[in-house]
Amino acid sequence: MASKEELIQELSDAIISCKKDRVLEAVEKAKGVMEPSEIIEKGLAAGMNEVGTLFERGKLFLPHVMMAADAMTAGVQVLEADMPVGEQKKKMGVIVNGTVEGDVHDIGKSIVSTMLQSAGFEVHDIGRDVPIRDFVNKAKEVNADMIGLSALMTTTLPGQKEVIELLKEEGMRDRVKVMVGGAPATQAWADKISADCYAENASEAVAKAKELIVGK
Amino acid sequence: MATEYALRMGDGKRIFLSKEKILEELEAGSADAADLGEIPALNGNEIDKVAEILMMPGKTVSVEQGMEVPVTHDIGTLRIDGDQGNSGVGIPSSRLVGCMMHERAFGADTMELGHIDYSYKPVKPVISNECQAMEVCQQNMIVPLFYGAMPNMGLYYTPDGPFENPGDLMKAFKIQEAWDSMEHSAEHLTRDTIWIMQRLMASGSDGVNFDTIGAAGDGDFFGSLHAIEALRKEFPNIYIEAGMAGECVLGMHGELKYEGTTLAGLWPHQQAPLAAKAGASVFGPVCNTNTSKTSPWNLGRAVTFMKAAVKASTIPCHVDMGMGVGGIPMLETPPIDAVTRASKAMVEVAGVDGI
Repeated sequence: MASKEELIQELSDAIISCKKDRVLEAVEKAKGVMEPSEIIEKGLAAGMNEVGTLFERGKLFLPHVMMAADAMTAGVQVLEADMPVGEQKKKMGVIVNGTVEGDVHDIGKSIVSTMLQSAGFEVHDIGRDVPIRDFVNKAKEVNADMIGLSALMTTTLPGQKEVIELLKEEGMRDRVKVMVGGAPATQAWADKISADCYAENASEAVAKAKELIVGK
Repeated sequence: MATEYALRMGDGKRIFLSKEKILEELEAGSADAADLGEIPALNGNEIDKVAEILMMPGKTVSVEQGMEVPVTHDIGTLRIDGDQGNSGVGIPSSRLVGCMMHERAFGADTMELGHIDYSYKPVKPVISNECQAMEVCQQNMIVPLFYGAMPNMGLYYTPDGPFENPGDLMKAFKIQEAWDSMEHSAEHLTRDTIWIMQRLMASGSDGVNFDTIGAAGDGDFFGSLHAIEALRKEFPNIYIEAGMAGECVLGMHGELKYEGTTLAGLWPHQQAPLAAKAGASVFGPVCNTNTSKTSPWNLGRAVTFMKAAVKASTIPCHVDMGMGVGGIPMLETPPIDAVTRASKAMVEVAGVDGI
């Protein structure tokens, strides 16, 4: 019989392989030996963290991250049946994400949305070239915890500030966090416009969203 | 107090650094590139040389005599007339005037004719206009004049094109559909680019500039390489510039290969041999500027990447230097102190063949 350490390694490796059947097989093997929460935290989540690192290093790519996330969800679903209600996986938070008006850059924002989703957030990606008002309206509609604002041009960067100002006008600023990103954005810019955080890349966006939403 | 030198952050903000700090930042930037690209970091002499360039007292600097390289300008045709809140200067002038000013007043060694939409796909409905503009420019100009635009594969995805957006498909865990969408888009990108260039070549174009290859990820690179290959086959003497969009090919697909090499995650020194294999005449490597880091950090990093690309490339490397690339800060009009220092370092330390 495999040791606990070997099972944990197998779970993690299965996630890194991005193969759902391999993950389900590893979960089944670990089920009688480990607690469901331990399987998730020490095996599956640890594997997802490694996937994030490999993505950041350019060794794994976006479809692989999604396949790994899909496999992890399937594994967690199998385990949830054996978990007490209070321990079942909770939604981490609701995020509205988009590229501000006048800016048609899509890819960076889409990668951030995908990574946030694979980390367990409910993400509403409202696209690119999004009017300022639409961010606020969508946040109201889905009761968002955070708005993510992307801008890839110096000329469209002020759109991030305008969304924050509109949130203030609408009396929503206290309950909706704002994350800014995109090549011209910096921490100094985020401070200047009173955004809650600036993320340099998709992995940092996930880490900071967890800090802001889950930790709030 | 140690002497401090006026430099910049990657977002253009003015900063003052001591020589020790400059050296430290250069080494850290170079180490970052070496780590990511698995390439050699700059050696002590090279770091000292870049530091010396950064600390030169003049507002602008230039290469040493005898080290001059060819320079060209993408979309320069529109920069005189254009005024969209970016680097255009808004002086009413035709594209012919824009091209000729670059040739006769600004010292461009080659030039490019481009359309305001600046992607291949939207050139299709205005092809006659573009052919006419090419003929008129060729009748008036001496330097080689290419046609240029961005492959911009994103225009083939919804809402701009016929194929569903792979980003949306992936978010719905429809991975196979996302792959299919990217592969179909790449085929269309290849087909459109060839069709457009067949007509522009018949109108006297000296070549083609693929500007910002890979902007939509590895599918964009894949489609562009196949277009280059087909154009080289059809026009053996065509001049093809393969300029990249960013330092690393984004793995939106992740599984696409060219000549057996997976395209996702390639760095400049790995991209260059593939561009040569496809049939490009010149490769345009890119290193992105990090707006949160200092200019020595960015320049140390950019020179390290470019030096490795030059070494690996079998064709000349004309480095992409401008707003937010090549160690230059991200500002609408990049500051001349930073542009000239970064350019000098690229020529004298990285050994690039052109800019």
